[in-house]
Amino acid sequence: MDNDNNIDFKDLWKKQSVSQPDITDLLARINKFKKTGLRCLWLTNILLLGTSAFIAFVWFYYQPQFISTKIGIVLVILAMVIYLMVYNKLLGNYKNIEANQTNQEYLQNLIVIKKKQNFMQTKLMALYFVLLTIGICLYMYEYASRMTAWMAILTYGITLLWMLFNWLYIHPKQTKKQQEKINSLIEKFEEVNHQLES
Amino acid sequence: MEFEQIYKTYWDRIFRLCMGFVNDYDAAQDLAQETFIIVWQKLETFRNESSIGTWIFRIASNNCLKQIEKQKRFPKSELPVHLSEEKLTSLEPQIQFLYKCIAELPETDRIIISLELEDIKQNEIAKIVGLSEANVRVKIHRIKEKLTQKFKENGQR
Repeated sequence: MDNDNNIDFKDLWKKQSVSQPDITDLLARINKFKKTGLRCLWLTNILLLGTSAFIAFVWFYYQPQFISTKIGIVLVILAMVIYLMVYNKLLGNYKNIEANQTNQEYLQNLIVIKKKQNFMQTKLMALYFVLLTIGICLYMYEYASRMTAWMAILTYGITLLWMLFNWLYIHPKQTKKQQEKINSLIEKFEEVNHQLES
Repeated sequence: MEFEQIYKTYWDRIFRLCMGFVNDYDAAQDLAQETFIIVWQKLETFRNESSIGTWIFRIASNNCLKQIEKQKRFPKSELPVHLSEEKLTSLEPQIQFLYKCIAELPETDRIIISLELEDIKQNEIAKIVGLSEANVRVKIHRIKEKLTQKFKENGQR
């Protein structure tokens, strides 16, 4: 290689040592992947659907008298169903992102998905909390109305404090890191996508 | 084409593409495996609209782009790569240097030059990346210039 401009990159490139793992290793990984891949999705679904089923059971078993109780139940279930639907759709989008696209299309898809994830964590979570809080407050009214005033205030007070604690402390703490990660990812993907435009 | 046959034919090439992207032997091995998992999942949906090579390289390069996400989660350590000798990955310095230089390029350039070095035709590269052929040609030219420059600076010829 006397000529500086004639470095044989192709030759160097292909000399990289490569070890092809046995195909049985790969097949084993495929099996494992199939089993664990959607565990999180299933867990969330089962948990929220289970809760909804339990609430529905309460409705039929205890036969609440007040319309507020029924509206409350509907709101709580609605909150969970909306959350689940968006969550499932988003995760499905992410898992099934069409792999056979050009890099450019793929990057744009990634950006869209990350932006939706962002929406889910902010706006949708807020809606979920509002529906849940209103639902629970309405639901409790029938039972609180049978309590003494002090007990009723105590019951509402504890419930609302718990919701506030969740919304103002646990939720921001959990999402702050994720939010930062998603935002920096969106930025990064946009930057990479930009490389193709220049 | 049978999956096993695809695996045997393409593993080395896909591995090198991933290696050019991350310049980390283990990470590249993982990325290549992930690629073949996707290939295995999607093989049924492959229609002969494009050549199977284009199809697989698209999947592989997209998977490389997707893993940027994981990188953020596990920031790369600054330790020099290939520290461990027992792994049999100790390479000639020139090869190591080439992969290092490529992994330092902007992400899409890494993909483009890796495909070029894999002897993929420029019109196929254009179809994989989503650029015009003319654009790809210009980019390859520039990247090669950049690499040559780096090799010169480093005294690696």
